[in-house]
Amino acid sequence: MPAEHSHEHTAGAHRHPVDFDPTAAGPDPFSAERRADRPLRIGIGGPVGSGKTALTAALCRTLGAETELAVVTNDIYTTEDADFLRRAAVLDTSRIEAVQTGACPHTAIRDDITANLDAVERLQRAHPGLELVLVESGGDNLTAVFSRGLADAQIFVVDVAGGDKVPRKGGPGVTTADLLVINKVDLAERVGADMSVMCADAHRMRGDLPVITQSLTDDPSAGDTANWVRHRLAEWSRSDEPVV
Amino acid sequence: MTERQHPPPSGPASSLAVLALADARLPGGGHAHSGGLEEAVHRGTVTGPHELREFLRGRLHGAGRQAAVFAAAAAHAAARKAPRRCWSELDTEYDARVPSPAQRAASRSQGRGTARAGRTAWPSPALRELMSVTDSPHHPLVVGVLVGASSLAGPKDAAAVVAYLSLSGPASAAVRLLGLDPFAANAAVAAFEADTERLARAAARTAGLPAAELPSTGAPALDLLAQAHRKHHEEEVRLFAS
Amino acid sequence: MRSRARLVVEADERRSVVRELRSHAPLTLFPRRRREEPSGAVVVHLVGSATSPLGGDDLELDVHVGPGARLLLRGTAATLALPGHRPGGSRGSVRIEVADGGTVEYLPEPTVVTSRAEHEAELAVRMGEHARLCCREVLVLGRSGERPGRLRSRLELERAGTALLRNGFDTADSRLRDSHAYLGGARVLATEAVVWDRDPAECSGDGWALMPLAGGGALSTVLAGDVVTAGSALARAREAHPCGTELSPVAG
Repeated sequence: MPAEHSHEHTAGAHRHPVDFDPTAAGPDPFSAERRADRPLRIGIGGPVGSGKTALTAALCRTLGAETELAVVTNDIYTTEDADFLRRAAVLDTSRIEAVQTGACPHTAIRDDITANLDAVERLQRAHPGLELVLVESGGDNLTAVFSRGLADAQIFVVDVAGGDKVPRKGGPGVTTADLLVINKVDLAERVGADMSVMCADAHRMRGDLPVITQSLTDDPSAGDTANWVRHRLAEWSRSDEPVV
Repeated sequence: MTERQHPPPSGPASSLAVLALADARLPGGGHAHSGGLEEAVHRGTVTGPHELREFLRGRLHGAGRQAAVFAAAAAHAAARKAPRRCWSELDTEYDARVPSPAQRAASRSQGRGTARAGRTAWPSPALRELMSVTDSPHHPLVVGVLVGASSLAGPKDAAAVVAYLSLSGPASAAVRLLGLDPFAANAAVAAFEADTERLARAAARTAGLPAAELPSTGAPALDLLAQAHRKHHEEEVRLFAS
Repeated sequence: MRSRARLVVEADERRSVVRELRSHAPLTLFPRRRREEPSGAVVVHLVGSATSPLGGDDLELDVHVGPGARLLLRGTAATLALPGHRPGGSRGSVRIEVADGGTVEYLPEPTVVTSRAEHEAELAVRMGEHARLCCREVLVLGRSGERPGRLRSRLELERAGTALLRNGFDTADSRLRDSHAYLGGARVLATEAVVWDRDPAECSGDGWALMPLAGGGALSTVLAGDVVTAGSALARAREAHPCGTELSPVAG
């Protein structure tokens, strides 16, 4: 499925129609310092069950051969995500770090990113050539976004089974994430979700920010999302922004 | 060490650094630590506000007092621009007072996190000296350095901050793990106001002692909880890092 | 009563010998001469008096173990800390110096803190670089059904001038003793510190933990309702220690 960039209908001064609060009204202007000596960090967030872990696994499979990558997972340790990734054999165990979030997944990716930064730093020490770290959030609600101090770019994953009203509800995840992925589109008909409504709402809420619709059943490689990540990586390595 | 009993009338009521360091919203990684409470909840020994208060009593007088003693000593050292050797002694001596490796790891992890936050907000030569000894210093030493580098606060304030955090961490974890009434949990913490004050004053009195002579205040039951928590981490779900 | 006892053990050509032994009532030292220990260690029994320490007593034992020498210092009966007629608490202090290559095992019997007693127990060990040590402490808070008095204990280990362990404990008030973040209501607190040739990985079970220390050596901590249970938990901790079988058995 093609990436549905929405540049064509948002030329000029676009305003988000729903403005929850000043910090939610667009990409954070105070983005993280870029450092040539560290990998690109991409956050993957979204509500429970939207397919964050499956997307992470797919990205590991697709990009693992061409990119030095590692994963930090914020879900409940030892049971779900980390084990899922290990069992799926998409990534060497030493490239997966799980953090404890003190039963507050959004705190660990947004308000106090200490545990996640520690995990990223452990991975960097263990794998000096690391180019990309995927930070997967614990399942949370629509208001959960990654701190720009943790994620250089973030993907917000929603799924059609969660209802076609989700993009319209907005929230900082939907409105400000660098990429919105609408997942499990193969289920749309069965759950009675109207894809055209979902996509239109998503673009209306997000302005020029990109939206990708995908089905990992139809494309287990998550090709479009992987391409988006490749572009981000290329930008990151070309970046001539000041190095601290 | 002379303790200032009353702030000068025109002086600040409290240093903003002290308030910020005691605030649960400080982005220093504290929210992921339950101070042994998750294991206690798992065992069914803490189920409600009364048990929480009794748990906090042990937390404060054992681990909290130990942390307070070293936070005060670190604040004292920071205010006197102590040499690097002094920081490495405090590091070794704190290690020697915490037999549980799980608790040492929790302290260093929170110390590293607080230092990361502190580097940006309150940079100081003392913090650089401490970080040159280890990139993961013990939490009370980091708090002591950050407080001690401020001209508005001293050893007693540093001690009070870590003593308070030894209560507020488990109390907040109890709210999250047990769905405890947050007002009851907050009241359980507030009940220790006088204890915290006494303990912070006592810690300030010993702050100038050589590191080897600082008091040791063990809490064997907490050591066992911390070790069991870490063991269960490898076997089953735990939501908190300690 | 003020009592100062002293024991010096040194290595002879092929075994360890007592060079100096000064008992001072109520601290009485008995070297055992019956047979030679396979380890070549000198075995000395420490015999207290049934009525000590009492309030006001100040007992000190100094032990020196020379390079390459080995000492096994055992207790013979439980020590009862009792209140005295004189004001002030009682104090028992054992100071051990082990030179490089020396070995000390200090295995006293339990200390029982009786009602209204106020006892301070200190064990301080200074070790040379390659010295070995095993020391055990079993504190019983009150005879059966008795509310204990107050005990403050301090265990300090230093090796080559660096602190390995400074473990202070205060039995404090009953609410604090009952706190699950302090003593968990246990009547018996037992510890065994082992600094030997290898250090263990951390290991724990019901009511016990074997904890490697940051600077080397390990501490086993046990909380139990009675001495027998505490003893078997300490035994399990020894089983988990890679050098556990090299230590002298507790009941000798």
